[in-house]
Amino acid sequence: MDLFTQKKGLALVGLIVGVGLAILAFLGNPSNMALCAACFIRDMAGSLKLHTAAPVQYFRPEIVGLVVGSFLIAVATREYRSTAGSSPMTRFVLGFIMMIGALVFLGCPLRMVIRMAAGDLNAWVGLVGFVLGVATGALFLKRGFSLGREYDTNKAAGAVLPLLLIVGLVISVATTVFVVSETGPGSKHAPWLAALVVALVVGALAQKARICFASGLRNAFLVRDFEMLLPIAGMFVVMVIYNLATGNFKLSFDGQPIAHSQHLWNILGLYAVGLGAVLAGGCPLRQMILAGQGSCDGAVTFLGMLVGAAFAHNFGLAGAAAAAATAETAAVAGGPAFAGQLVLVCGIVVLLVIGAANVRRQKAAASAPAAAKAPALDADEAAPAAN
Amino acid sequence: MGKATPHVVATFYTTTAALAMQKAGVRHGLRGRLAPIPRQLSAGCGFAWREPAEGGAEVASAAADAVRAVLEAEGIEAEGVVLLDL
Repeated sequence: MDLFTQKKGLALVGLIVGVGLAILAFLGNPSNMALCAACFIRDMAGSLKLHTAAPVQYFRPEIVGLVVGSFLIAVATREYRSTAGSSPMTRFVLGFIMMIGALVFLGCPLRMVIRMAAGDLNAWVGLVGFVLGVATGALFLKRGFSLGREYDTNKAAGAVLPLLLIVGLVISVATTVFVVSETGPGSKHAPWLAALVVALVVGALAQKARICFASGLRNAFLVRDFEMLLPIAGMFVVMVIYNLATGNFKLSFDGQPIAHSQHLWNILGLYAVGLGAVLAGGCPLRQMILAGQGSCDGAVTFLGMLVGAAFAHNFGLAGAAAAAATAETAAVAGGPAFAGQLVLVCGIVVLLVIGAANVRRQKAAASAPAAAKAPALDADEAAPAAN
Repeated sequence: MGKATPHVVATFYTTTAALAMQKAGVRHGLRGRLAPIPRQLSAGCGFAWREPAEGGAEVASAAADAVRAVLEAEGIEAEGVVLLDL
């Protein structure tokens, strides 16, 4: 499809996704949180009672839509490929730590961009950490980091996560089994069908355009290629326009919704996300898209994020949002408590250890002689490559 | 967007192998470069080696042989080597 191989097309995809984000924001998703992989997986964990933080519990149709949208378009365009076997437990840990980092910052890289587009200067500070994290990951890649290749597996295996999420959505819509917040971010949401439809479209576009916040920067660092940043720029532009048009744009550190100004922890939180994302081969959003197109390793990373979200709220690791003083309550500076700070720092150390432990010498990493792979000069014979 | 021209494209299972090819390609005097993997070839977001192969079938064949020779000499595992207009 030509649209996805040209720079203009990629920018257009970003604009379309941006419109989708604006629709979700307009229809009731929390402020500056039109679509956030980390926050919405966290809400999903809460709805499943994996944690019991009352304000953040809702089975988000957006998560289902992203994964299933990727799944459907991958099947329709013959890009679905069930794969597994690239250090799954390491990926689980990477997903877990990425989620801790994201919840300390209060958002994944997608929400970082959405917050930046609303004038939230804390997100611009967080961007520094994200860029540094990706740069660190790129250094590990240059030194030979690899979690090993994925292998083709039973076709049905790659469809398990999409199917599980569809079942969960049906249960969520048809019954009252899952918890729904009565106040707080979890209580604010677009109508489920609209959220699902928008997310299906975004998931499909993200799969075709290979949207990834970490890989966009990684490519810029490693091969001076900026193509993958175009969709992100498109989203940013649309969200700036939306925020200006609706009066949501406010250039400040203070008074930003579901955010805090603990700069060090904003930087470190997204540093962990950036580093973890490069080591895992994709940001939290990309992991869901990979899971949708059949990567069981992506699905395992998703499970790591789900469990990480549960831990973050069961053990008070997530950052708290800043709040102004009211007649009844004192002002809250927000940010992570000591437990969250400690676990985040330990998480970054673990990421560095994972990075160092998986550096391989190229000769040793090549598990089969190159001559064994001598494909014909025929594009039709080229199979999709793993990350 | 310039006119598409033929390239020999080597794809890899891992980013590590692609980055190894980047170093090896320069060392062995190949004319190509590492770039994001063409979307026509993969649903991944990794890298591929793009070796220019403009000038007919013989040039393309020679370029492919040169790429394969580097892969073999350096022990780099490639997933595929294909001819593609980029």
